[in-house]
Amino acid sequence: MSATVWATNTPTALKAYGTALVDLARERPEVVCIGADLTGPTETDLFRDSLPERFFNIGMAEANAVGVAAGMARAGEIPFVNTFSVFISRRAYDQIAMQVAYPRTNVKLVGFMPGLTTPGGVTHQAIEDVALMRALPNMTVVEPADANQISAAVRALADHRGPVYMRIKRGEVPVMASAAEQAFRIGRADVVREGGDAVIFACGLMVTLALAAADELAGQGHDVTVVNVSTLKPLDTGLIAEFARRTGRVVTAENHSIIGGLGSAVAEALMEAGASCRYARVGIRDTFAEGASAPYLFEKYGLSTQAIVDACRHVLDGA
Amino acid sequence: MSDRLGRPVADADEVRTQADHVRRHVLRTVARVGEGYLLQALGAVDIFAALYFSELRLDPEVPAHPDRDRCLLSTAHNSVALYVTLAARGHFPIEDLASYGRDGSAFEIISSEHVAGVEGTFGSLGQGLSVGVGLGLSARLRERAWRTYVILGDGEMQEGQTWEAAMAAAAFQLDNLCLIVDVNGMQVEGPTNDVLPMGEIAAKWRAFGWAVHEVDGHDVDGLLRALQAARETTGRPSAIIAATRPGHPISFLLGRMDHYAKLNAEQAEMALAELDGTAVLEVSS
Repeated sequence: MSATVWATNTPTALKAYGTALVDLARERPEVVCIGADLTGPTETDLFRDSLPERFFNIGMAEANAVGVAAGMARAGEIPFVNTFSVFISRRAYDQIAMQVAYPRTNVKLVGFMPGLTTPGGVTHQAIEDVALMRALPNMTVVEPADANQISAAVRALADHRGPVYMRIKRGEVPVMASAAEQAFRIGRADVVREGGDAVIFACGLMVTLALAAADELAGQGHDVTVVNVSTLKPLDTGLIAEFARRTGRVVTAENHSIIGGLGSAVAEALMEAGASCRYARVGIRDTFAEGASAPYLFEKYGLSTQAIVDACRHVLDGA
Repeated sequence: MSDRLGRPVADADEVRTQADHVRRHVLRTVARVGEGYLLQALGAVDIFAALYFSELRLDPEVPAHPDRDRCLLSTAHNSVALYVTLAARGHFPIEDLASYGRDGSAFEIISSEHVAGVEGTFGSLGQGLSVGVGLGLSARLRERAWRTYVILGDGEMQEGQTWEAAMAAAAFQLDNLCLIVDVNGMQVEGPTNDVLPMGEIAAKWRAFGWAVHEVDGHDVDGLLRALQAARETTGRPSAIIAATRPGHPISFLLGRMDHYAKLNAEQAEMALAELDGTAVLEVSS
């Protein structure tokens, strides 16, 4: 078992989000930072200490925090609301629907510690946040895969007029190898490795694990494509259908329930595109987890390089 | 542009005249549909008239003016009274309300923000005050003088979010925020005291750190005094606790607790006749 939730020997960086948000806010006076008693854990202590007049801690009150952000957005601010993914999605859903998504207020919702990246147990694990956010009209949903993508995403969120939900791990995050891999644009999926036998569509922390799985499969004589789907909505359906058609063998990998997230979104897109293929989803298999270390949970609930290899073998062997 | 945003100068008599005008059109408008949140709408008319004709700095020609005062109708169900008030204030012709409640009309029974002058979408109750807090914070951050008003129903105090927002407004010392609690004592299932009594309402807001003014919600002079006092309050938000009577002042509507009341043409005519004895109802089919 590896001690991390990314591929072994992947370089990492610290506090990509917190640093990028301060840099952005120094240039854009309308950027405000809204928190709910999780300043340190959302890396926004950097913002609080640099730009205190634009930092608002609303306390343990996520529903109110979303309403306050919507009010500030109506006055022209660009509020970034920072808390854990689980609290923003489960505790404030109606407020997000009515005060953010419906009126298209320019609010950026940033959920930390998505899926099984938190040791906090079932109360802290957002395993269906993508499903919830994706179902809201007008909502854009992104999950950057590395530190550079997170930095670029912060800027992209501010440049995008309207509601966005971003889910990211806090603190130490991986750094991908090439500039092409690090690029981020809302609505665009990126091919980070090409091979003709199968395609893995992955998002967030699953991307480096998918690349490691591709290495392992190469050793077994299978060349697979890996696509980083950093925008979950709107989905890059053109690219996804193209690579699914090319290989006819598709695996999705996400740190989320297999219901309603990337695996569902890709399947929907491929069915509508008429792209027939063998298909397997890697993700949390319709179960709650428990409190334990992230590496342990990733291993136990099948969010691992081995699980991706197995899923690829399944679609490859059945060909 | 901003010099058109002066506070309206209507005195209490003029506000009362406007309130009577609004009441008549609320009755006419609801009668065309045959039912609606009529009792709550009539109960809130004096509050709307006091706000829109003597308090709010608005430019109906530029409804999204950045320096306008914001008034959020958190109750939203009684939007028919807001629509009529906005029309009377000049936001759109009163004739536009002929489509009220019909399929395809922007004048939905429970308002969304498709109508000029409707600030937000609040039919899911208990959300308005939070948005008001955000607007208040932005006004301060931007060093702008516009104020934010929120009309909350007493039933909305059963929603926990209302108290999250109450706590935040006091913590941030938002003296540019004025809440009007329309205490009509009714909710879907009947009298609030039979569903879930809310106890000492004024004491609750005081305990949360607000400046509190208790008024009869049909006493225009009292409402105007309270609004002025709120404007002059510094360092904390103000709550005007306005006791209202659903259906006011129509004798045969007072005391009823119908969440969604029927109003046929004959009843509407009786109500209008009660208001001035001469009104003739024009019912379009």
